[in-house]
Amino acid sequence: MAVQTKTKPGAPKSAAPPAIQWDGRTYPYCPPARLNIDPSLRLHSKAAKQLDPVTFEVVRHAMWNVNVEHGNTIMKISGSPICAYGHDFNPCLLDEKGDFVFFGPFLQYLSSPIGSAVKWTMENRSANPGIHDGDIFLTNDPWIGSTHQSDVALFAPVFWKDELFCWVGNSLHQWDLGGTSPGGFNPQAVDVYWESGCIPPIKIVEKGVLRRDLEEEYLRRSRVPQLVALDLRAEMAGCNVARERIRGLLARYGAETVKASMRKLQDDSEKVFVERLRTIPDGTWSEIGWIEMANPQDRHIYRNCVVLTKNGDKLIFSNEGTDPQSGTLNCTTVGWKGAIASMICAQMLFDQMFVVEGAYRHMEFDPTPSTLTCATFPAAVSAAPALTLLQTIALAGIAISKMLACSSDPALRSEVQSCMGAPMYPVAAFSGLDQRGTPFASFLLDPVGAALAGLSWRDGVDTGGWPWDLQSTMPNVEEHELFYPILYLWRRELADSGGAGKFRGGNSAELAFIPHKTDRISFFTATGHCAVPPPSLFGGYPSSTTRYTMRRGAHARDLMATTGKLPDHTNALRGHSEYLAPKSFNVPQEKDDAFMLSWAGAGGYGDPLERDPASVRHDILSGVCTHDWATRVYCIVLDADNNLNAEATAALRADHRRQRCANAPSSPRRTIDAQNARQVQEGLLLAATARGKVLACSKCHTEICAASDNYKLHCASLDLPVTDANPHVLDPHNYIDDEVLFRLYSCPACGLLIQTEILRPGDEPLADLHIEERRAR
Amino acid sequence: MKPSPGTRNSSSTAKAQYYFCGIDIGGTFTDCVVRDNHGRLTIAKALSTPHDSSEGFFNALTAAAEKMGITLTDLLSKTRHLMHGTTLGTNALLERKGAKTGLITTRGHADAIIMMRSVGRSAGLPIHRLHHVSRHQKPDPIVPRSLICEVSERMDWSGEVVLPLNEEETRQAVRHLVDSGVGAIGICFLWGFVNPAHELAVKRIVQQMAPDMYVTCGHELVAKPGEYERIAAVAINCFIGPLMSRYLHKIEEKARDFGYRRPLVIMQASGGVAGAEDVADRPLFTIGSGPAGGLTACGFLAKQLGHRNVLASDVGGTSFDVGLIHEGQPLSTSQSTINQYTFSVPHLDIESIGSGGGSLIWVDERSGTLKVGPESAGSNPGPVCYGHGGQRPTVTDANLVLGYYDPNYFLGGKLTLDKPAAHAALERVGRELGMTAIEAAAGAIRIVEFQMAELMRQMSVQRGLDPREFVVYSYGGAAGAHAATYARELGVTTVVVPLGSTASTWSALGVQAADLIHVYEKAELMIAPFNAARINEIFSALEKKGRAQLRKDGIASKDIFLERHVEMKFKLQIHLVEVPVREGKLTARHLAALQNDFVEKYERTHGRGSAFTGAGTEIGLFRVVARGRMERPAVSEYQRQHTAKAVQSRSVYWPQKNGFRNTPIYDASSLKAGHVVRGPAIIQMPETTLVVPPFAHGGFDKFGNIVLRLTD
Repeated sequence: MAVQTKTKPGAPKSAAPPAIQWDGRTYPYCPPARLNIDPSLRLHSKAAKQLDPVTFEVVRHAMWNVNVEHGNTIMKISGSPICAYGHDFNPCLLDEKGDFVFFGPFLQYLSSPIGSAVKWTMENRSANPGIHDGDIFLTNDPWIGSTHQSDVALFAPVFWKDELFCWVGNSLHQWDLGGTSPGGFNPQAVDVYWESGCIPPIKIVEKGVLRRDLEEEYLRRSRVPQLVALDLRAEMAGCNVARERIRGLLARYGAETVKASMRKLQDDSEKVFVERLRTIPDGTWSEIGWIEMANPQDRHIYRNCVVLTKNGDKLIFSNEGTDPQSGTLNCTTVGWKGAIASMICAQMLFDQMFVVEGAYRHMEFDPTPSTLTCATFPAAVSAAPALTLLQTIALAGIAISKMLACSSDPALRSEVQSCMGAPMYPVAAFSGLDQRGTPFASFLLDPVGAALAGLSWRDGVDTGGWPWDLQSTMPNVEEHELFYPILYLWRRELADSGGAGKFRGGNSAELAFIPHKTDRISFFTATGHCAVPPPSLFGGYPSSTTRYTMRRGAHARDLMATTGKLPDHTNALRGHSEYLAPKSFNVPQEKDDAFMLSWAGAGGYGDPLERDPASVRHDILSGVCTHDWATRVYCIVLDADNNLNAEATAALRADHRRQRCANAPSSPRRTIDAQNARQVQEGLLLAATARGKVLACSKCHTEICAASDNYKLHCASLDLPVTDANPHVLDPHNYIDDEVLFRLYSCPACGLLIQTEILRPGDEPLADLHIEERRAR
Repeated sequence: MKPSPGTRNSSSTAKAQYYFCGIDIGGTFTDCVVRDNHGRLTIAKALSTPHDSSEGFFNALTAAAEKMGITLTDLLSKTRHLMHGTTLGTNALLERKGAKTGLITTRGHADAIIMMRSVGRSAGLPIHRLHHVSRHQKPDPIVPRSLICEVSERMDWSGEVVLPLNEEETRQAVRHLVDSGVGAIGICFLWGFVNPAHELAVKRIVQQMAPDMYVTCGHELVAKPGEYERIAAVAINCFIGPLMSRYLHKIEEKARDFGYRRPLVIMQASGGVAGAEDVADRPLFTIGSGPAGGLTACGFLAKQLGHRNVLASDVGGTSFDVGLIHEGQPLSTSQSTINQYTFSVPHLDIESIGSGGGSLIWVDERSGTLKVGPESAGSNPGPVCYGHGGQRPTVTDANLVLGYYDPNYFLGGKLTLDKPAAHAALERVGRELGMTAIEAAAGAIRIVEFQMAELMRQMSVQRGLDPREFVVYSYGGAAGAHAATYARELGVTTVVVPLGSTASTWSALGVQAADLIHVYEKAELMIAPFNAARINEIFSALEKKGRAQLRKDGIASKDIFLERHVEMKFKLQIHLVEVPVREGKLTARHLAALQNDFVEKYERTHGRGSAFTGAGTEIGLFRVVARGRMERPAVSEYQRQHTAKAVQSRSVYWPQKNGFRNTPIYDASSLKAGHVVRGPAIIQMPETTLVVPPFAHGGFDKFGNIVLRLTD
């Protein structure tokens, strides 16, 4: 069985634990191992025993194309920029039990919700109103089958001779489904009742006929009912096209052959997934990220944790250590699972057409309820995709990377990557009167030009988008200027915004615009990582933070008139900078103000002092990295002609490493025999010694601690202000009252930077690596 | 001269008064097709000469002249149009062997081409590479940051000057680029296509400071919003410009030496030709012109045969290309992706997958399945049966062992195929799956034909078209082996293998069948109700340009055709629909009708109920296609050298009959027009082999095309 959820022993931790019903009402729906389906619904489960490899290849290709055509149909009919540019949709094909066969190449985190919606529907709708040929169901309920209320899933059973053969479904983000704020997200929401309403699965199409009563009920809530009606038709048409094409395959190849092909796809993906798991020792890996401000008045930070345990052929994900649900920061477990699965696909199923079921069969989810990532009804959840879900994708990617770093398979280790860029979406919604005098309201799509992380073998991709959206596409400046009353002063990659490292993270970008042919624009914002940078990997440095700036009194237009020059950086403008909070609303931009936005780059991988000086020099000359930051973080010395001074560089680096070791614990130094060791992190070896398994520095082979210990406690640690993590990080007190610091964990002997961490004074260092000794191979 | 089966010899006694020559340079061969004023075709080939393509160009022409028994000077001095298709620009870009290029752009926006809208990391990747995120990477920049200069200037979307051009900064920028040794300078400002004043001012400064510099402005190439796609177009144009203009001048000069007096014309990706002088300024338009030649040839033939809807498929060694002709018009699109760069240029809409004769047949060990492509054996080592050292079996090897190809009559016997080696290679692959060599071969053919059919299906369905209403045209070396089966998979009932003997020089035929085409565009956002006066003003300005250019090209007024189109969309929606606009002065009544036409076409393309009429309608782009009709005698009827009915037979595998059957083999030269061959059968030609499965019958028509009818 696929997605299972267990309750932690002893959780929840309150005195009198109420019995938890994982039924999609108060707590999120978690399908049981065996679905409880009304016997009147007969499932087609018979698969041909023999499947020739040629027919399989032909049917596989055809099923993939069914999915492609399903997606194209939605894009064509919807015509919505949300799917065309934001890719905020995805079609899928599921088997008769609601397990995935194919999932499209668009937003990957939507996968779990649709499967969950189908299973819930089979359990809760098979008796009443029944599931029949020609039906299509609709839901946007985040506790059942959606990431947030704006993502509406439609899914249809495909019948073959009175038996439910399979399901086709899709999910598409809607412009507006009502609630206290246009677009559905209100940064001030205290609970779900402030947001668009939740619709548990309803049968919107009955035996081929759209139910007029339900359609009107659905559209009545929206501020733009015509657009929502169009998108509803697009989603319906997608289901219909996919269903008819599947029926064509059944007629041509036989239901049992097609079913056998579905099973084989899932089985093949599972086989590869398990093979890959078997190259990894059992153990536990984890990552944490911080989110600031639960609402516009709040000045605190909250912790989001992803803990990954591998036990034999199982991967168990938990959110242990995640803070209680709060304000607008929450997501449900339905979305959380999809967030995790999207990185499993990217990092472990890249050659399996993302057939996620192969992995789901070996994944368990063990969330603690009433936390940021397992919200209990009626918590506010509409901001989940922009905030907690995106951050969870980033954290899951790092936790998975930490696990893959322990694999004996070099191909799998080449998937190890630091933190993706823009790990929370910088929502900058703006509204007012456009240059033609008509009202407009929209949000900036520029930050989809996120950045790809530093890998274990190469740098990240500057403005390379996200790993969970394979074709992230930024709008052109001209497209924005044509439709909105703004004039960009600049939009460019932001040097140094990617985290430093042996392999640096990709740089993100920054933009600035002034109002143009309008008097005033109003903003609201929602994001995180403004005060606290995202994490990074294996000694890599964090990226920049996200920053919204309103330059009051910038007078860009006057400057142009008087100097004949286009101001192209902040200091070329007049006035003063006002940093907007990561949750704010109704912030005006007046005629002479400039609005600026830069978003978090991607994290670095490995100790920056291990970076090839020639690459650093290249980065400086190509404008990717500033000379100043390169001197500080990479300790590079160039002469007046920009030639590398290798000797001075080496000396500066050596000096820097010595400084890192200043606080090293004064335990006796022993080195291990590297022949008996395997790499488990960029900077750590796991070695067998007479004293048992130990962790040692990968550079100088000095033993650091017993394998069972938290190595960070035995490293030389150095606390720095968080503003030292990246030149674009502002003093966190601009946003929050909590203290945070940036800590380096280095080899006590040679000063190799093994890991970095952002934490509050007094926090225990995160134990992010634990390998089960008995199973380590 | 002994007439070969491919020589058209009707009116063979009539003397030719003048000629049309099409030359197409491919990777291996340079093809030449000469048509005389009676419609007679002569085909010749020469080896391509990559070190200097102009050599192959004239060798092919000389070979054609020799075939016709005249001198090159005789030929060229009587040539009305010397027409040329070249992939020189495409190759220079792919191999990164172009000019060192500098760019000048609006201050604050130098990174547009560096960022590539983010999607540059994966644009155009096939699905198996798209899924592998950790391998996504942007290509090395065509222009490095150090050669992109920003200058102060600013227009807004309406063309209003927000900040005048700063000439001092401009001079500094030009000085920097010249000192850096660039060979070309591109100028592309935000909104420069709405108001080109600043781009033109910079161009003048460049021409003053560096008179011999190759210069391109954004507005000269692209006239629509989207600064990334426009600056990418400028950068690519500059990168290949100096090389292409040198090459074209060289050919023109040499042709003049042999008596050719008119302008050389060059194939563009739009499916039309343009004068060499024009192309030297805008070589970008030749990128993708190779496949466009093939589709243009189909359009030319389809007109003659009365086929309104054609699915044109080119089955080559490494790829399978598909284009569509709908209602007599080849379908176009306006964005191209090459090397992960996306640029805006109107061109024929042709999609491609890695399925062809050279596609490798292999086993995915993890899933235990048989796979075909996308990797190809290429021309080196090529299929196993070529005996050039290839060890891994290909589709060509499968066709051979199944009896579709004659080992002694491949490429007319120029290459003897090693059937035992192909068999052994397929046996090795089959063994991993418990299959015989024959089963593996038959399976691979089934898979590859299915892939081909699926691409054609997707292409038609995505554009709101039903493939069953189309005729399939199939050309390229491997076309004949698969056409009938993939066409039947689509529910198509007629397959044409055009002009059998010219199938291998099809692009060259297309080059000399093309019209002169110039496309003029003007982007301006208009919201309904539309302003008729402004629209009339825009169209007449565009038409004036088109007419002037065609006159300059030497086209007589009676041969000038101007087509008007607008791109329309619903507000809040993204789909642009191209709607034709009537000629003459437009009134409010016409514009109301235009809105109806838009809604109708929108629903036809995007599905019934998809029109969001409540949102309001917008026009974003005005387009005039200026077409200069080239004189084009129809292809003459084909008097086949008819020999006695020479039928052989051999054992051929037919999946419909579950095995090998003794099958009649026809030599094409034995077939008269109208002679019906019933499947199963094989028709052999020197250039290609046509498989006639049991569900098909057909033969040559009077023009020398093979036409197959398919039944259930």
